[in-house]
Order: sequence, then C-alpha cells, then structure tokens
Amino acid sequence: MEADLSNPCPQSLINKNVVPGDVVLDLSSMVNQTVKLGVGLRQECDSLSVFKAGKLRFLKPNKYWVESSHKRYVPSAEDTVLGIVVDSKPDNFLVDIKGPSLAFLPVLAFEGGTRRNIPKFEVGTLLFVRVVKANNSMNPELSCTDASGKAAEFGPLKDGYMFETSTGLARMLRRSPTCPVLEALGKKMSFETAIGLNGRVWVNAPAPSTIILVSNAIINSEFLSGAQQRIMVEKLVQRFSDA
Amino acid sequence: MEQRMSSTWRLTVNEKNFIETALLADLRVDGRRPFDYRPLSIKFGREDGSSEVQLGETHVMGYVTSQLVQPYRDRPNEGTLAIYTEFSPMADPTFEAGRPGESAVELGRVIDRGLRESRAVDMESLCVVAGKSVWAVRVDLHILDNGGNLIDAANIAALAALSTFRRPECTVGGEDGQEVIMHPPEVREPIPLTIHHLPVAVTFAFFSEGNILVIDPTYKEEAVMGGRMTATMNMNGDVCAVQKAGGEGVMMSVIMQCLRIASMKAADITSKIKSAVDAYNTERALRNVKRHPSSIAIDVGVSEVAMQEDQVDDLRKDEQILEDKLRASSSGNIGLTGAETSSSRKREKKTGGNNGEPFIGGPSNWDPYPKEISSSYIRSSQALPGPLTLNDEQEVTKAAQKSNLSHVDTAANVSDAPTETITSMNPQTSSPKSLKDAVKKKNRKRR
Repeated sequence: MEADLSNPCPQSLINKNVVPGDVVLDLSSMVNQTVKLGVGLRQECDSLSVFKAGKLRFLKPNKYWVESSHKRYVPSAEDTVLGIVVDSKPDNFLVDIKGPSLAFLPVLAFEGGTRRNIPKFEVGTLLFVRVVKANNSMNPELSCTDASGKAAEFGPLKDGYMFETSTGLARMLRRSPTCPVLEALGKKMSFETAIGLNGRVWVNAPAPSTIILVSNAIINSEFLSGAQQRIMVEKLVQRFSDA
Repeated sequence: MEQRMSSTWRLTVNEKNFIETALLADLRVDGRRPFDYRPLSIKFGREDGSSEVQLGETHVMGYVTSQLVQPYRDRPNEGTLAIYTEFSPMADPTFEAGRPGESAVELGRVIDRGLRESRAVDMESLCVVAGKSVWAVRVDLHILDNGGNLIDAANIAALAALSTFRRPECTVGGEDGQEVIMHPPEVREPIPLTIHHLPVAVTFAFFSEGNILVIDPTYKEEAVMGGRMTATMNMNGDVCAVQKAGGEGVMMSVIMQCLRIASMKAADITSKIKSAVDAYNTERALRNVKRHPSSIAIDVGVSEVAMQEDQVDDLRKDEQILEDKLRASSSGNIGLTGAETSSSRKREKKTGGNNGEPFIGGPSNWDPYPKEISSSYIRSSQALPGPLTLNDEQEVTKAAQKSNLSHVDTAANVSDAPTETITSMNPQTSSPKSLKDAVKKKNRKRR
C-alpha cells in the first residue's frame, strides 16, 4: 500500500486497512515529537511499520494503534473484561479471561476489602472486572474496583446469559454513540448488558425470550452495516411478536 | 497444568441456569424450537469420495479411500469397511492431539455400528477373488470445528462421502487367470459402491431428569444436558442402531417418541444427502464430457493459426517497407498509387490490432472461426500440405519484392526525366499491385 519513505502520508492510512509491512509514519521528519504506539505497530529505525493486519487508528495528539478482530484476547491494562472464576486460592481467585494464561484476582481487590470479608465465589461465577496489570512474563492481574477504589458496577453478575463473540464485535458494541443494534433493540425492549473487551457479552432481562432475542441479534450483527442491523432487529422483533 | 486449565472451555453458572430455565419455557438459546435441526450444508471436494458437512457451527470432513487386501478368514468373500476419526485440537481445545479421546472412540463406534450392522454398504460386491483379495474401504472423519452434535454431522459426512466414492474397476486375468488387473480411471470408469440405504443418526438431549427433550444439541446444551441418545434410522423407518449415553434414565414412551421423530428427521436428511449427491454426480458427468473434444480442438487450432499469422505479418512488413520507399522516391505520386497506399494503410490499421496482442489459446475461449480467418481458408490450408504451400507463397512474394526494389532504385535514379518516370512508374504500380493482389486475396479470404 503505502511504502513510500520519502513522502509518508499517515493521514491517508488512518482508518484504513493495513497489513504487516506497511510503513505508517516517517520519524526522520518529526524531530522532538513524542509518538505513542499501541498494538500492532513497531519502530524500525526511522519509520513506524505495521506487524498486524487490521485498521489503523489514531487519537489526537499522538496515539497510533492497529485495531483488529480476534477470537482470543490479549490482556492489556485498563480493559474491562468478563471473567469466569476457575479456582480460588488463599490469596487470589484464578479467573479465565480468554487470554493465553489465567488471570489473578487478589481477594482484597474489592471495595473495602479486608481479610475479614473475603467474598466467596463458586467455580463458574461470572465476574465483570478490570485488568490492572498485563505484561508478557506474568499472569495478568485483575481488580473489582475502579482506579479510585470504588466498586463502580464491577463484581459478580447474577443470572442472565453470557455468550462469546469476537473482540471486534465487543469493541463495536462498546463504541459511542451507541451502536445501531443496541439502539434499535433498546427502543423495543428493556434489557441489561455487560460487554467485556475480551469478546464476552452478558445479557439479562426479565423474560428468557428477550434474552435469547437480544443475544441472537447481537451475534447476527457482527458483519452488518448500521442500516442492515436495524432491519435485522426489526425482522427479529416482528417474528418474535408473531410467534 | 495451569496451561491446560487456561485452554479448556468452561461454562458459567449463569449459562447453565439460563439454558435450563429457558428450556422449561420451550426456548433454546439459539432461537430454535426443541425439534428443529440446525441448517445443514453438504459440499463435495474435487475428488470422488470426499465430503464436507456443516451443521450450524459444527464442521466435519469425510474422506473415503480403498485398497485391495486379503479378507478375514471367516468372511472370505466380503470386503471390509472401517471408520477412523480424527479430532483436531483446532476444533476444540479439549481435544488432545494424537491419542483419541473417549468421545472420539464413541463417535467412531456409533457410526461404525450404524453403517455396518445395518449392512448399508454391500460388502460382497467388494470381493475380487474370494479368499484372496477384497476391497477394504476406509472412511476418515476429520472434525474441523466442534459446535455440538458431532455424531450426526460426522455420520452425514460419512454417508455423503461413501455415496460419491468410486473404486477403480479391476478384473481377474493374466497368464494364470488369477492375477488382479486394476484399470486406471482414464481407461475404465470407476464404479461406485452399492449402498442399499442411508442410516442417518439423530441425536437427542435430555434435560431435567428426562422430562425435556431437544434434538441436535449445540455444544453449550451438550455441556448442560443430563443424558443423550442417538438413534440411527433410515428412510424406511428401520432402527439401525441406538446409543444411549449419560446417566439420566429415560422412560420407554419417551424413547418411542424419539424414534418417531428420528424417522421423520432421517427421511428429511436422507433427501438432503441424495439431492446433494445427485447434483455432484451431474456436475461430475458434465466435467467428464467436456474434457475430450476441447483438448483436441486446441491442438489443431492453435498451431495452425499461429503459423498463418506469422506469414501474414512477414507479408505486411514487406508491404510496409515497399510503400515507404515508394513515398521517398517520388513525392509526386499519381493518384492511383496514392489511393492504393492509403487503402492498404487502412487495411494495415484494421488488421494491425491483432498483431500486438498475444494469441490466447484456451479450451473455453478458443473460437474455431476467428473474426479474420474464414473457415474455408483454414480448411484449404489444412487440406493442402500446409508448410509447402506457404513456402511457395513466401518465395513468390520475395521474388516480387526483389523486382520491386530494383524498380524503385531505377525510379530514384531517373526521377528527373518525366517521361522516364512515367514509364518506370507503370511497372512500379503494376508490381506492387501484383504483390498486393496476393495480399488482397488473402485478406479477402480472411474477412
């Protein structure tokens, strides 16, 4: 695509699909500037090149990263994810967050957590958690509080239904303004969702039929445009009310 | 240890509870009703005896091969049929590479029983020499993606692959009359297996102590279900095999109900398999028909046309040189030659289009009657000893060219004298005319 070193034009590549080997930015022309790199980019001498296929994103003033959709999740700090309790140890809960290794949730990482009031989670409990630490050599560390130590909606999720999708769909659902599928569904019925960046989505509603409808609509919407999503939701609701 | 724990798929308490409560209201998490099958698609590979089945998210590939072996001693005049399963770790993280797991063995056994004990495939027709050599048919089932209900998907894949499989024809002969001669598929059409009926497996899952019954469970439902039953039936409603797994006890009336539903589903799936196989067979037949005539046509056509084009090109080049010289020699050309050259120019332009582009010979776009070469011309060139006539023509044109050149030279030398010019012009105009006539003749025919 864009490999012209003499005149790299990053603006043209932003929000476009990039493949490994594409040169995104020429650093020789920008002295005394800081550039922050996210996933999928690396510095090679005086240029920034891509090593992951996806869409190049840019956030002012200087953040670049490559966005792509996976069925697996690579933990990164400050992501909010849905985890499943696998085991509990004296100091930590072992939580599965779809990553390459299990994550640790310290038993004290709850709002007002002390040795006296350690919560009890049975195996298979679904938790909405925040990733605190993530690096290559250690298991990721989770927390059930926000940065200021408040519970802030984190913690175990009761009832409802959880299904797994790709990370790309999860990111789309989390996007602001609200993505068309959730907006269209929200106009028709009331439900509750928790979306983890690791591709897990939890849906809850008073009636099981609503949960099934919402979850199928979300799964179907993965490769549809905004208008198509609205039509699809319309049709599903129609069929549901007929039946 | 921890690595393995992180890779295994696990079900949350929420999902388990929800699937159970939704089933109490006759709802399934993927929006199906209890007795709905997931969408089924059957595809075939390029070779005979390979199939790919997709049942919802479940993806199974079947492949059938055969070889001549010595039969078992107790059945000297019957071939053999064996099912092998391959559970790839890519399909599900719980599958381990190499060692077949419990589910892999069970899957193979259920399909094997359904096919063999119902005698769906005629074994005696696989015998070549009794007691000496029979065909051993091997069915390989590769699980590519596990979305639940592997048994049904794998069984359909096996049936589809067996229905399209063809073994090479072989005869007994040779010097001692005992030698087995195998005919390659090009010589004799391979023969399909004799399949009497299609035993289709239909799997049911039981929930909440056998009170709730669903068909074709997904992998999430399989993780929650209390028990499972696979009924293998054919279109006529014969029960070929039944496999009941899981701890939950089931009432006799429920089993009878299952069998009734299974026979309906089996008829449905059988018709789907048959229509897919029919479509494959028609396509295969068409493929075989096409092959021979097109290949012969290419061999004849391409070489012939290419040769003609070269010759024509040479001629045109000669003509071009000649015209240029003419123009150089006498700027005051008389009208006749001017008209001649311009007309030949036009022709040059018209026909020039196909000089540059390479000739694309292919079975599909080869046209026996190209725009500029008439069929009669090809026929005549084929009828006559081709190269010989062409050489003659070439010589003629060369001779004409030589005479032409000499004339041009003389014309250049004596261009001062008007009378001389006219006299020398006459042979000039006449000699290119003779050449052009030769070309024209060709061109007229080529139109």
